[in-house]
This record gives sequence, structure tokens and C-alpha cells, in this order.
Amino acid sequence: MSKAKTQQPAVIHKVIMVGSGGVGKSALTLQFMYEEFVEDYEPTKADSYRKKVVLDGEEVQIDILDTAGQEDYAAIRDNYFRSGEGFLCVFSITEQESFQATSEFREQILRVKNDDNIPFLLVGNKADLEEKRQVTAEEAQHRAQQWNVPYVETSAKTNANVDKVFYDLMREIRSRKMDASKQNNGKKIKKKDSKRKKCTIL
Amino acid sequence: MADKRLIADLSVKGFDPNLYVSRAAEGGEDALLDLKQRIHILGDKTAQELKKNVYKNYSQFIDTAREISIVEGEMYQLSHMLTEQKGLMASMMEMSLVSDKAVVEEPQKEAEPEINPKEETRRNLAFLLEKVEGCSSVTEVPGRQLIHNGDLTELDIESLTPTQKVHAFLLTDSLMIASWLPNRRGPVRYRFQGLYELDNLAVVNVRDAGPVKNAFKILMFPASKIYQTDSAKSKRQWLDILEETKKKKASRDKQKKEVVQRLAEQQSVASLSRVEEASKTSFVDEEDKTTLVEFETDTLLQEDWLQELPENLDMCIAQRDFEGAVDLVEKVNEYLKESSKSPSLKEFRARIDHRVKQLTEGLMSELQVSPERSLRGGPRAARRAVAQLIRLGKSAQACDLFLKNRSAIIKYNIRQLKFEGATTLYIRCMCAVFFNSLLETSKEFLKAFPNHYGCYSAFIVWCKQELELFVKTFNRHVFDGKTSSTTVAECVSISRKHCQELCQSGLDIAYLFDGLISSDLENTIIEKREQLKDIVKYRSADDLWRPMNHMSQKDCQKYLDEMASARMDLKDYVYQECFISLTMNTAQFAKSCFQYTEDLLLVYSQEHEALITDSLVQVISEQLQHIEASLKSDKFKEDHNFILKNALFIVEVLMGRLERLYRDFQVTFPPELNAIRENYKHLKAVAKSVKT
Ligand SMILES: Nc1nc2c(ncn2[C@@H]2O[C@H](COP(=O)(O)OP(=O)(O)O)[C@@H](O)[C@H]2O)c(=O)[nH]1
Ligand SMILES: [Mg+2]
Repeated sequence: MSKAKTQQPAVIHKVIMVGSGGVGKSALTLQFMYEEFVEDYEPTKADSYRKKVVLDGEEVQIDILDTAGQEDYAAIRDNYFRSGEGFLCVFSITEQESFQATSEFREQILRVKNDDNIPFLLVGNKADLEEKRQVTAEEAQHRAQQWNVPYVETSAKTNANVDKVFYDLMREIRSRKMDASKQNNGKKIKKKDSKRKKCTIL
Repeated sequence: MADKRLIADLSVKGFDPNLYVSRAAEGGEDALLDLKQRIHILGDKTAQELKKNVYKNYSQFIDTAREISIVEGEMYQLSHMLTEQKGLMASMMEMSLVSDKAVVEEPQKEAEPEINPKEETRRNLAFLLEKVEGCSSVTEVPGRQLIHNGDLTELDIESLTPTQKVHAFLLTDSLMIASWLPNRRGPVRYRFQGLYELDNLAVVNVRDAGPVKNAFKILMFPASKIYQTDSAKSKRQWLDILEETKKKKASRDKQKKEVVQRLAEQQSVASLSRVEEASKTSFVDEEDKTTLVEFETDTLLQEDWLQELPENLDMCIAQRDFEGAVDLVEKVNEYLKESSKSPSLKEFRARIDHRVKQLTEGLMSELQVSPERSLRGGPRAARRAVAQLIRLGKSAQACDLFLKNRSAIIKYNIRQLKFEGATTLYIRCMCAVFFNSLLETSKEFLKAFPNHYGCYSAFIVWCKQELELFVKTFNRHVFDGKTSSTTVAECVSISRKHCQELCQSGLDIAYLFDGLISSDLENTIIEKREQLKDIVKYRSADDLWRPMNHMSQKDCQKYLDEMASARMDLKDYVYQECFISLTMNTAQFAKSCFQYTEDLLLVYSQEHEALITDSLVQVISEQLQHIEASLKSDKFKEDHNFILKNALFIVEVLMGRLERLYRDFQVTFPPELNAIRENYKHLKAVAKSVKT
């Protein structure tokens, strides 16, 4: 039993990386996953990663979807967003445009998830490139406050705050899940049951 | 009698043993004992009866089981044949898929209005209907084609453990998932699970983690699935092809939108004819075009039967009504022979040509030999395909495939033979199979290719090749150095006889066969000759020139019988019941010499005549030399009469036998052998000269 538990922690938190191309979504993901910084990483299509982590003493799994950014069909992009429980909305502090683009991502996510309180972090990456900074911490902070989300500056290169953004997001996701199960307890359990049944049939 | 009553009593309906026994007990002890005895006997009898019945039923049971297994075997064959046919259909479909793919990949070709998309679809996806249960709605969409398909394992999205096997079909605009039906025979292997449009299907590559390798996710609202492929390569392929297909669909959609927009604009401004022109110069989707083409009038193509012809042709091909299909092709060719080269006609022609190509491929695959296809279709099916191919003007290909097909049949049939010990028997069977196949093929060939003289030379070349293959096997078994010369002779003569039979039906390959075995045969003759000469030398050293003494009349008779079986009659040489007035050496020599001659005559050919004669002369001379040496020897001074008697036996009796043997084989007795008879005079002279 304990073996089964170590193999497959019951809880999976689904995180999605969004943001313009080149801001460092993949770099952050790879740094978190494998603790390495990849200098030339080819543009992502859509990759998903899974990792076992200990979140405040509890063993859980994190499922990261590193998205590509440009999709021909909005419906497809929506499907990506639908599959997530929390979002790391990344921009590069060295690129003003990428910061502007975060609004659009936020909008799309809210539309698809239809939930203003969706676990969401605004992430200003490439903090190690202070000399090239185009986005001030203040304006980013200001936007985050407007959205009522945390703002964190990271560097995939120096590994600054990388774990923090993922863990903070997971905590948000976890507390959201707990709230939800508290709210409609009966319903949720019932749903879980039916799901389990389906699995055994299959 | 009493037993009968007892049986009747015991087998009464509702028999009550207690009552019966208590009643029997009333008769006292003796009666009871008697009854006990009788019941005992009856019991034994019944047991025996029961056993017999079991045996009887047992044999019936075995018979039934055998019947069932035969029926099962037949059913299996039937189902095998059916799947084969399905496979053939599928491969034909796939062939057309491949060509479609090529069309899709080459942009210039895409512009060619070669294929009507609606019909193409129906054909392409028709086989899906046969493979996948409940997917009929999928196949009805015009323009939809199969791009890629393969087996996948669906994993549980949370635990990543395998949940079921599925087969995915990527179509031009959507992805169809079908679940795998286990334990299914026949063509229907999958059940339709879902169809997901590409424009809202998100594909996610799953990075290999732990035991879960080669997986990818498909996010299709509301369901998300994760599938596993069997290799990294196959996953890469799926991801690439999905991406590419999605891109193509996107650009197609975009183009369509533009065309529609432009048409709408132009229509509002210009006249209809100008719209037509505009749409012709720009890229227009097939569907739009067909609506416009309707305006063109070409009286030639207005005929109803002509309009329906492509479809009917498809139907014929699908139903493997090859004759019907070729009939249609010939009909349309005849009809369009004189006509002009208008664009619409060209297009129509292209549609027909495309189908002719398909038809040709279908017919060719009918003749194609592949390991998984049985050869049971047999010559009739092949002839049918050949006839149609010839009608389509593909006689050279037909000829080639026909002969390849026959080669495979011969190979298969020979392989079916089991080689178990007896070389002659095996060669006999092999010859029967091979030469009958040749004969059958030549007959079939003449039937299938009447008046196609160009193909005849191909047939002759083929015969030669087949014969060479046959002789290779033949030589391996016959001239292996261990086979006795008698067996060799038998095998060669069996094959020769077959060759002659073939010759009578107009196919002369005897000279080829002789040529192919000639050197091996010569070696065998020489080897045997040397062997016999050695034996003569060996025996001569021990020759004491004593008559044979068989000790008893019975044993003597036995020996006479043995020699008689080798057609040597020694009766006249018997004296004093158990003596034969010849040496053992002489008798044995005569026997083996006779056998050797028979073997040689069996393989006789003019080419080998000199060798045969010379070999016999050498062997007999060797023996006569021994006689001469003995006459000259001091040791046998007293035995001259007996020695000469032996000499006479060889020179007269044996040579007489050999001459008769030659006559039996209708070969002239060579003078060189005849001359051996003269040796007796010489030997007598030697004897005389030694004495004086
Ligand atoms: N200096 C620095 N470079 C970074 C950082 N994160 C990413 N990069 C570089 O930025 C480029 C784009 O990163 P990538 O992860 O591919 O961006 P994505 O398109 O958002 O996935 C790569 O050359 C990275 O090496 C960072 O924190 N600091
Ligand atoms: Mg990336």
C-alpha cells in the first residue's frame, strides 16, 4: 500500500506556463524539473512534464504544461487553458511587449476558466538581466495588485525564485481545491466515486 | 430367464429396494442367497455392458471430434481466405492512399483536377467502415481522407497506467479514435469511440518520466486523453503528422474563406462568366469548381452512362468484378476514341485513367505472390487476372507475374514434399510435382496468352530457369556420393521419362535436363566402374577356384533363387544337390556386372554411349585378366578345366544376358562388347600353351 502511494501520489496539481515566446517559460520549467539552465532551447510546441514533489510535507505530483504561444485556432488554445488548475503568466523584464501581452493571456484564461480567483502568478523572468530591464518592478506590481494576484521576479538562469513560483502556485491550487471540496462536499465525493467506477469498468 | 424377470423387477418404475428385499427375505435363507448370487451376476453383466457402451460411444465420440476438427479446419480456412481478401482490399485502398498522399504533398499536383474528391473519399474511407464498427457517419463527409493511423495505448490521465488499446485514424480534418475489440476474428477490429475535429484538438507532448515513455496528450474538450505509442519514432511521427495536418487544414480553411469572400465580391460586380474565369486562374477548391463546371456544356459527356461510369468502375473494382471493370474501360475507350481534347474531356479521361491504374494494380496484386497469401487462388484466378490485364494492354507485366506466380506454386508444392529416406521415392514425387506443374503451366500459358507470341520466349526462359532450380535439388539428393548407382539410374530415368512426356505435349526440355546432369552422371558411371574393378581385384586375390558348395540342397536352392532374382539362371551348373560348378567369384561378378549394365542402360544416351561401352569392357576385361592370370599360375595347373568353364560362363552366358538386356532397352549391342566373346579362344590357347 505504501509502495503504491509512493509510486503514485494521489494528488496532481496541474500548472500551465503562459506568456509570449522567448520570455523563459521553458527555461523556468526545465530549471524546476531538472535544475539546469538551457541556453538555447528550441521553441516549444507543447510539452508536458510531471514530477513528484513534497509540498509542505505532503507528497504530491505536479503536472506542468509548457505551451507554445501561437496557435492557429483559438479553440485549441482554450483547450490548453481548460486543462490547467493554475497559471504562471510569464513575461521578461527585459521586454516591454511581453509584459503588455500578459493582459491578453489573463483575459483569455479568465474567459475559459470563468473564474476570477483562478490560481495565478504574474512572473517577471530574467531578473538577472537588471541592466536590460524595461519593465519596472513597480508597474508589474501594480498590475498584479489590480488582478489580485502575487507578482514574483525570477531568473531561470540563476535559479532565483524558480522553486518559489511553482510551490506558491501549487499552494494556491491546493487551497482552492480544499475550498471547493468544503463547499460542495457531497457532490464532489459522488463525482469521484463515479469516476472510480468508470476506471474499473475500463 | 430368471435374469429377465429379475431385470424386469429391478427396473420397475418406482422400485423400492426395501420392499423388494423384505419380500425376498420371506422366501428363507437359500432363496435369499440365490437372489444375492443372481443380483451379483447381473451386476457384473451390467458393468460389462456399461463398459461396452462406453467404448462404443467412445469411438463415436472420437469420430465426432474428428468431424468437428475437420469442420473447424474448413471454417478456419474459410475465414483465412476471407481475411486474405479483406487484406487485399485494404492494400488496394492503401495503394490509393499512398498516391493521395503524394498528391497532398506535392503542391503542383494538388492543382490538377485529377480526382473528384467526393468519390475519392468514398473509396478511401470505405475500408474504415469494414474495420471500425459504427463509424458510417465519419465516412460520409466529402473530401475527408485518411492521413495516418496506428495502434495506441490509452493511459489513465491521472495515474498514467494503461487502460485500453485503441486505434487512431487521423483524417484530413479530424481524429477518430476507435477502441480495439479483443478476440475478434474477421475484419471488424475496432469500435468507434469518438471523432474530434482538428481545429479544437490540442496536442501535448508528454516528456518521458519514469516508466511512462512515448506518450502524448490530446486535449479535446471536454475529454483529455493520454496515449502511448510503441516507440519514440512512432510518437514523433504522430506529433509531426498531427501538427502538419492541422496546419494544412488551417491554411485550407483560410484559402476557402478568401475564395468565398472574393467570389462574393466579384459576383456582386461582374457577370457570371467572369467569375468563372477568375476562379479558374486562382486556386479554387474542388467543390467550388464543380459548381462552376456545371455551366460548361459538352454534349459528349452528357450521356448518363458516361457520367455514372467512374462510380460504376469503382464498384466493379471494389467487388473484384474485373471483367466488368475492363468491359467498362473498353466501352469508354471506344466511345471517346474519336473525340476532341477539350479540357473537360481531359479531366474525365484523367478520372478514368486513375481508375484504370487502380484496376491494373488490383489485377497485378491478384497475381502477386506474397508469403501471407496462399496459392489457393490457383491457375483459374490467375488466368482470369491475366486475361483482363491483356485486355488492358499489359501483357508483358501479366506474363511476368503469371510466371512468377507459377514459380511460387512449384516451390511451394516441392516444399510440401517430405524427404524421408528413400531417395527414389522422393525423386519420383518431386518429378511428378515438378513436371506436372510445368505441363500445367504450359497449358495454362497457352490458354492465358493465346497468340501473344512475344510472351512465348519469356515462357521458354522461365522453363529453363525452373528446370535449373529443379536439377539443383535433384542433384543434391541424387548425386550426393552416397546414393547407389541403381538409385541414381532410377532417378535419372524417372526424370527422363517425364521430360519425354513433356516433349510429346510440345515442350522439349530433355536436352536441357541431360545437359544439366551430364557431368554428375559421368562421374557416377566412372566411380562405379572403378569400384567394380577394385572388387574384381580384391576377390581375385582370394580365388581358390573351387566350385561353390552350399552344403545342403535347401541352401543351394536359396542361392539359385537369389541369383534368379538378378536374372542369372545357374540351374544347369548344379551337381550333387548342393554343388554349383562355378566359383563364388564368377557368380558374384556376373551378378554385379549385370546390375551395372542395367543401371547404365537405364541412363543410356547417345552422348554417353562411348563411356558406357568402355566402362563395361573395362570391368569385364578385368575379370578375364584374372582368369588368364590364374591359367598361367602354377597353383591352378590342375584346375584348368574348371577355370575355363568359368570363363565360358562369363563369355557366353553373361555376355548373352547382357546382349538381351541391350535388346530390352532397344539399344544396339556394341561391337566392342561383342568382341569380348572372342576372348575364350585366347584363354583356351593360353591354357594349352601353359600345359605344354
Ligand atoms: N539571462 C537569462 N536568460 C534567460 C532566462 N530565462 C530564459 N532565458 C533565455 O531566453 C531564451 C528563451 O527562453 P525560453 O525558455 O525558450 O523561452 P519560452 O519561449 O518562453 O519558452 C533562451 O535563450 C533562454 O536561455 C533567464 O532567467 N535569464
Ligand atoms: Mg518554450
